[in-house]
Amino acid sequence: MSEKNFNVIGKGKPRYDGRVKVTGAAKYCGDLKFPNMLYGKMLGSPYAHAKILSIDTSEAMKIPGVKAVITAKDVPSLKYGISPARWDENCLCIEKALFVGDKVAAVACVDEETCYKALKAIKVEYEVLKPVLDYMHADEDDMPQIHEKYAKNINTEIHQEFGDIKKAFAEAHYVRTDTFVGQRCYQCPIEPHSAVCIWQDNKLTVYSSTQSVHYFQHYIAREFELPMGDVRVIAPFVGGGFGGKLEPTGLEFNGAALSRITGRPVKMFYDRQEMFQHNRGRHQGTYKITSGVDKDGKILGCHVDFQTDGGAYTSLGIATAYYAGALLPLTYEIPVYKFDNRRMYTNLPACGAHRGHGAPQPKYAFESHMDNIAKAMGIDPLDIRLRNARRPNTETVNNFKVNSCGMKECLERAGELSDWRKKKKEGLPKGRGIGISTGSFVTGAGYPIYRTDLPHASCMIRVHEDGTSATLYSGTVDIGQGSHTILCQMAAEAMGYRYENMKMVASDTETCPLDFGAYASRQTLMSGSAVKQAGEEIKRQIIDMASTMLNLPPEDLKCELGVISSISRPKVAPITFEEVARRFFVLRGPLIAKGVYTPPRLGGTFKGAPVGTSPAYSFCVQAAEVQIDEETGKIDVERVWDVHDVGQVINPVNLHGQVHGALYMGLGETIWEQVHFDSNGKIVNGNLGGYMIMTALDMPPITSEVLEDSYEIAGPWGAKEVGEGATNPTIGAFRNAIFDAMGVSVNSVPLTYEKVWRALKEKRESENK
Amino acid sequence: MSNMIIDKDGVRRYVVSITVNGDEYTKMVKSNTLLVNFLRDALDLTGTKKGCELGDCGSCTVLLDGKTPINSCLMLAVEADGREFITVEGVASHEKLDHIQEKFIEHGALQCGYCTPGMILSAKALLTRNPKPTEHEVREAIAGNLCRCTGYINIIKAIMDASGQEIPM
Amino acid sequence: MYLPDFEYYAPDSIAEACKLLSQFGPRAKVLAGGTDLIAKMKNEVLKPEILISIKKLDQMKKIEYVPGKGVVIGARSTHNDLVNSKVLNEKYLSISEAAHQMAANQVRNAGTVGGNISNAVPSADLPPIFIALNAAVKVTGVKGERSLALEDVFAGPGKTNLTQDEIITEVIIPDQKMTGSNYIKFGLRGAGALAVVGVAVAVQVENNVIKDARVALGAVAATPVRAKKTEEFLKGKKVSDEVLAEAGVIASGECKPISDVRASAEYRTDMVRVFTKRALRAAIDKGHV
Repeated sequence: MSEKNFNVIGKGKPRYDGRVKVTGAAKYCGDLKFPNMLYGKMLGSPYAHAKILSIDTSEAMKIPGVKAVITAKDVPSLKYGISPARWDENCLCIEKALFVGDKVAAVACVDEETCYKALKAIKVEYEVLKPVLDYMHADEDDMPQIHEKYAKNINTEIHQEFGDIKKAFAEAHYVRTDTFVGQRCYQCPIEPHSAVCIWQDNKLTVYSSTQSVHYFQHYIAREFELPMGDVRVIAPFVGGGFGGKLEPTGLEFNGAALSRITGRPVKMFYDRQEMFQHNRGRHQGTYKITSGVDKDGKILGCHVDFQTDGGAYTSLGIATAYYAGALLPLTYEIPVYKFDNRRMYTNLPACGAHRGHGAPQPKYAFESHMDNIAKAMGIDPLDIRLRNARRPNTETVNNFKVNSCGMKECLERAGELSDWRKKKKEGLPKGRGIGISTGSFVTGAGYPIYRTDLPHASCMIRVHEDGTSATLYSGTVDIGQGSHTILCQMAAEAMGYRYENMKMVASDTETCPLDFGAYASRQTLMSGSAVKQAGEEIKRQIIDMASTMLNLPPEDLKCELGVISSISRPKVAPITFEEVARRFFVLRGPLIAKGVYTPPRLGGTFKGAPVGTSPAYSFCVQAAEVQIDEETGKIDVERVWDVHDVGQVINPVNLHGQVHGALYMGLGETIWEQVHFDSNGKIVNGNLGGYMIMTALDMPPITSEVLEDSYEIAGPWGAKEVGEGATNPTIGAFRNAIFDAMGVSVNSVPLTYEKVWRALKEKRESENK
Repeated sequence: MSNMIIDKDGVRRYVVSITVNGDEYTKMVKSNTLLVNFLRDALDLTGTKKGCELGDCGSCTVLLDGKTPINSCLMLAVEADGREFITVEGVASHEKLDHIQEKFIEHGALQCGYCTPGMILSAKALLTRNPKPTEHEVREAIAGNLCRCTGYINIIKAIMDASGQEIPM
Repeated sequence: MYLPDFEYYAPDSIAEACKLLSQFGPRAKVLAGGTDLIAKMKNEVLKPEILISIKKLDQMKKIEYVPGKGVVIGARSTHNDLVNSKVLNEKYLSISEAAHQMAANQVRNAGTVGGNISNAVPSADLPPIFIALNAAVKVTGVKGERSLALEDVFAGPGKTNLTQDEIITEVIIPDQKMTGSNYIKFGLRGAGALAVVGVAVAVQVENNVIKDARVALGAVAATPVRAKKTEEFLKGKKVSDEVLAEAGVIASGECKPISDVRASAEYRTDMVRVFTKRALRAAIDKGHV
């Protein structure tokens, strides 16, 4: 079991990057300047679906300060994507534009202002085609085909069955079907995307606001047929990602092409509206769920049948489509399971991996469905969950191996914290309701995004010559989640060193060994495992050196917080890490070590089996209490309780910050957030006034707790994920709280005030009949 | 206007003197030069961020006359002529962080850090005007600064703590 | 984003500003706080070629009580000037509170009263409470000054009845017999949200009888509108929950909202009912809350 006497991990160490961020010194991609740098922008299509007949760039080229204008003929025509299952995007559209904002040309100019003027001067002749805007009807005969290769606008189709679902339903005491509908959301990081491309001396350097320097390097090298070694990708400080900065945007490709043409560095950037158009946010879907349960409410089988809107391109959407159903059997033990999903192409911005990848909306549907079953059968919502809760050391019906799992404990603790039993027994005041919901998420994906046998994570540690600092070299990316901090904590713990003396060189493909980056909640476990290995190797070398210096056997020495001392002879004067490291350098050269991590072989052999595999899964429960204004439908959130099984906590301050942030995003999607389109497929609220992310006045109080004794065998020191799982239960918890308060079910998100008002109105009308 | 020239292309350029963090800068700007771009491009004070450019997110918050938070994306540099501003770079004195900055680090009140400069300036303005705000007043003061990472919880805690009061929630 | 080019003037006097506005005609716009204008220019909703800045016209910044005239609010006062004004806090806290509900702190520190009125945005937060309190505006043009009732300023979304050369210089809240007033903004989030519905009321209540009432609605028609039938209904009625509820129903029949992404017309109509009732109750119970 876990060894709890840690010196560095488990403590709320101050953020590694705190000082530079509070002083404004931290440079994000958009803050970078290089000598002779040009500014670049891309021209977006004004139509959702249009044939490009001609592009005349001559007027734009006449504007003083315009250095280059490029169209599809000036860039590689090789299709790209992030998901190799479907490469379907071009650097610039060749024949057709497939959504409003699809990139058709790009410019490089002496300043920002000239870019906008140049874009206006590009004359594009379009033949406007009928757009496909409704994903539920995208496969109908009168709908135009968006991509030639994909008939009926079906991007991907999933049909999985585990066990005999018909039999399970036939044997069930109660079978129920519910349908819920999700909306399009956008990650909305506060930092807009940008990229600075420098193509000089046959080498391409790209600074990008990205979540993964490795995937960017891979795809940029592939697009321009360059060896990986001639492409350097660097992520400076990144101002939030949440999945939206995982894949190339076109800024990198077109910036690279413009830099090659002009011979100058080019900074490409999106403004807020363009970010919304580029999107890669939450898929919207329609989620039909049928479950059969026994007389105690124990699930015998589930059939989930989904259809989702993928937008114009695949993005990471194949994985999203699988995740939508694959993760549902995690929190509850579902013995028989059938999962159908169709991801449709539409002429809307492409959807991708948005925090909680594919899981939150299906989870909302499932958790709402659970409450409907509970209500119909007269079972308490907490009890039905306890009866179905997954146990540790089990395997899901779709072959995910679960080690640590505190599902039951999370439910019980959330029940205690929220005073669930008392509230249920004594009842709540009028308009007040409480709801509960579960969540779970992968701790890193079991397989890389593109097929490769490369390890998932690796790193190096180099101790400074005099031992007064040590530098961790890691290809990981800190997009704000605090990975630099916790990786430095883990390095120091493993080395027997101090966090305060750690330095980090990261997110640079040239100076750091490979790491797949920040997605799928992977860095703590995967990158952390590599760091632990490297740190322990440093410690081994330090102790080996100290052993000769102290003339004591290595097994009698311990190294903690930079002090090496004898275990058996407390009177022997300890020596410092610095002394030993310096001696090591003098005698043996640089004190360095490496670490590497590859997950074990995971999952089943059926089609799509890899998606959802992970070395470990987080589990969590949220309870929410709301007060509904009966006349307006306004939802006031009294409090939210979150209880998490995250394994060993590395940094409690960061950890609760992740819970707050994930819950914040989840709650935003629950009540406020939705990307709206007009009848031509153009976004009508592509700004932060219209797309309502919550303000400080909207955020409810939160109680965030973790299970103290959780230990995950697959993780470093027993750690696992937190950052995404907390988005999972949120919508369901609120839907169920409103259901509890008012007895009405809002079957689509966001659960706006107006929808609650309408549901109450309909209820009154039906009661009056 | 005496401080304006018309260049050879007919573009009007204005001489402005703007004081930032105590230093006066005299530069030439166009009528449509925004204060945020003046700070970032002309002075290289990139701590002032651009998030939405429409006054919705508060990333570009600066303190007008050293005390009043405004969005620098909605102010023309010519309008700022003769005025004084504090940007995030002017909050810490030399090597010493401001108390609010220290509390932000202590409470984990920042993650990606992109909203942080604006957030700190709004907090600074609040505590200067109202040294003992209520939790609600703290929320009000930063409601024009959108943060996508923290859910504001730790930010509110940091500001309350910086004011020497009990930490809520 | 990009702010298109324009010519910029910052005249030293109102007369000079009016002269420039007259000279340039519809190509020119007045620049005050810029919070609405600059954003609309970036979005290319407005495309003025000339901006006339009134930043030097400091006489338009004051908020004071002038005996015999009323409370005079200079048009360059920012929303937060209204929030913090002692005069308003004492006499019409409802105005300070309405100003406090606009946008968020940074915008309230820059956006002006004159701007909030002359932009003629149907969901603006100040016009309803001003109309409920029978405010007038003083406008100055090349031909001199004139005064008009605030409710007569608006001609449609983004359109006013001011002539091209005219600038709003003051808002005047006359001395009145109203015993209470209140504005409720119903927006969809705590800050930075436009009103889905805004209801302002002012009432004169004596011995529990409503002697006079004014009700103004925002965000539910092309301009802020008076709910005159509701006002007539209320006059002479004894205060009761039933009367206020009935007033809400009548008010909901007096609006013509549109449906957009924020709310349907049906919802807005019903919210007028709810918030008229609630605003009346607050104004009656608490005075100039």
